[in-house]
Amino acid sequence: MTGWHLDDDMLRRYVERTDSLAEGASAEQHLLSCEPCRARVTAAVTAAAGGTGLSVIDFAAVWDRTRDAVEVPRPSVFERLLRGAGLPAQEARLVAVASAFRGVWLAGVAAVLAFAALAAAFGHARGVWLFLSVAPIVPCLVVASSYDPWMDPALEPELVTPYPMLRLVLLRTIAVLALALPAVLLFGLVVPGETAFAWLLPAVGFVAVVLAASTWVSPLRSAIAVSSAWLAAIWLLAARSGAPEAVLQARTQAGFLALAAASFAIFLVRRRRLHQLRPWR
Amino acid sequence: MATASISLRDVGRTFGATRALAGVDLDLRPGVTGLLGPNGAGKTTLLRLLATALPPSQGQVRVLGLDPEVPAERTGIRRQLGYQPQEVGFPRGFTAFAFVDYIALLKEWTQPAARHAEVRRVLDLVGLSDLGAKRIRAMSGGQRRRVSLAQALLGSPAVLILDEPTTGVDPEQRVVLRAVLAELARTSVVVLSTHQTEDVAALCERVIVLDRGRVRYDGPVTELTGQAAGRVWLADEPDPAASISWRTGTGRYRNVGGRARDGVEHVEPSLEDAYLLLRGGSPEHEPAQGVAS
Repeated sequence: MTGWHLDDDMLRRYVERTDSLAEGASAEQHLLSCEPCRARVTAAVTAAAGGTGLSVIDFAAVWDRTRDAVEVPRPSVFERLLRGAGLPAQEARLVAVASAFRGVWLAGVAAVLAFAALAAAFGHARGVWLFLSVAPIVPCLVVASSYDPWMDPALEPELVTPYPMLRLVLLRTIAVLALALPAVLLFGLVVPGETAFAWLLPAVGFVAVVLAASTWVSPLRSAIAVSSAWLAAIWLLAARSGAPEAVLQARTQAGFLALAAASFAIFLVRRRRLHQLRPWR
Repeated sequence: MATASISLRDVGRTFGATRALAGVDLDLRPGVTGLLGPNGAGKTTLLRLLATALPPSQGQVRVLGLDPEVPAERTGIRRQLGYQPQEVGFPRGFTAFAFVDYIALLKEWTQPAARHAEVRRVLDLVGLSDLGAKRIRAMSGGQRRRVSLAQALLGSPAVLILDEPTTGVDPEQRVVLRAVLAELARTSVVVLSTHQTEDVAALCERVIVLDRGRVRYDGPVTELTGQAAGRVWLADEPDPAASISWRTGTGRYRNVGGRARDGVEHVEPSLEDAYLLLRGGSPEHEPAQGVAS
């Protein structure tokens, strides 16, 4: 904005539309960035309409709506889904901002899952092992990426706002699970036999372990450690028995359920020591 | 309305074996306080402490009379706090408007119309009103710096903590930002760290010089500058008697500190001269007043 403003004559010609094309364009250009002159135009139009019964345009409101249309970011598909699921608009925005919900990241995860599922469908025993290796660790990796400081470049300004980080972490975790679990289930439909669902309890257990471990170390490190341990265990199992029955046994599945319950209990007890809140331990 | 204030008593902070701050005692009231010091002096650590992003290892911090170690009181502080960190990362794909709007949401601006108006107000304050829809990745370094300043200005906070707010910002915008901060400082505590002594000279009534985690000087800018009076002179050659000398644009040498010979051309000291004198001075150059350690 400069120190120059529309003079009274120019403003009158603009309101009465008696100005030249060039002068009108110049006035329009100035009005785009000058609030005081817009107010003068509003006042002049109001005065001109006095007693005539003509409706007066609220230029300020029109201007705000125009700027909203240009500047206010459109909600992403995921944000709209969250709103549709009943999350208030502002919280849907806060959740959807996480890197874990970016299209490229999600596409990468989907590609890995698709590959594992197809390998299981057409690759016989080795393919099934591959699916069983990948499927349970996908949710915990995506959960970790949804609130890991390394993945969140704006963490420091976020941290010193009154919004509770713990709530944000939990909201993002729930949103990730709501997205990841059905996706893996969908890919699992092409996997033969009970293996298609054998990953479910390990996945829930690993997410809980990552949450609990995030009260000591960063979420991404937790997820990488959990994933590495799982991959090593699967490799050992595959090398020994050559079949995934060990994972499918009821006793093993109950173990994962117990792991999930214990980890979640630890998380609840230590929730204020989340890695993001660590400075205030 | 209660007067905004911050107090620190014997505050220290260590990172492992490294001591970043030690024995800091400060009382801050509305106005602009500048923080000067070399790299690694503890400026960012002190600002993070004031911004509730970091707890002290020892001592007591009170911001607006509230204790940041108590969760409920910490939230109370954060409701009245604006903080611009030294480095701000921006989520991928965000525009300036979207980023400031996101932080406004976290700052409990839940009504969209009021929030959008506030976002526009702060973008306007930092001279970015026409660039709200521009992606931050496509912005220059100075423009990004102003986006991060805009989010700190949301809600005209009672406490504003700024870590190098003018780095990369062009001279015209720096003048505009000084006016914005001076206006806010009528009622708010504004603390800023910078390496630009001219910003401190132009904006701050008080300056704190940190060195190796300790407060080396705490007092009025004019007093610090005054301590360099008679210790800055111009000569055709670097003067061996000076603590520091450098060649100026006119080809003459500016000599600071030490003992000037008779007949040299003394010049008005700048804050930078005084700061260099304080930093590089021998014990006889230690300021008589305002030294906290």
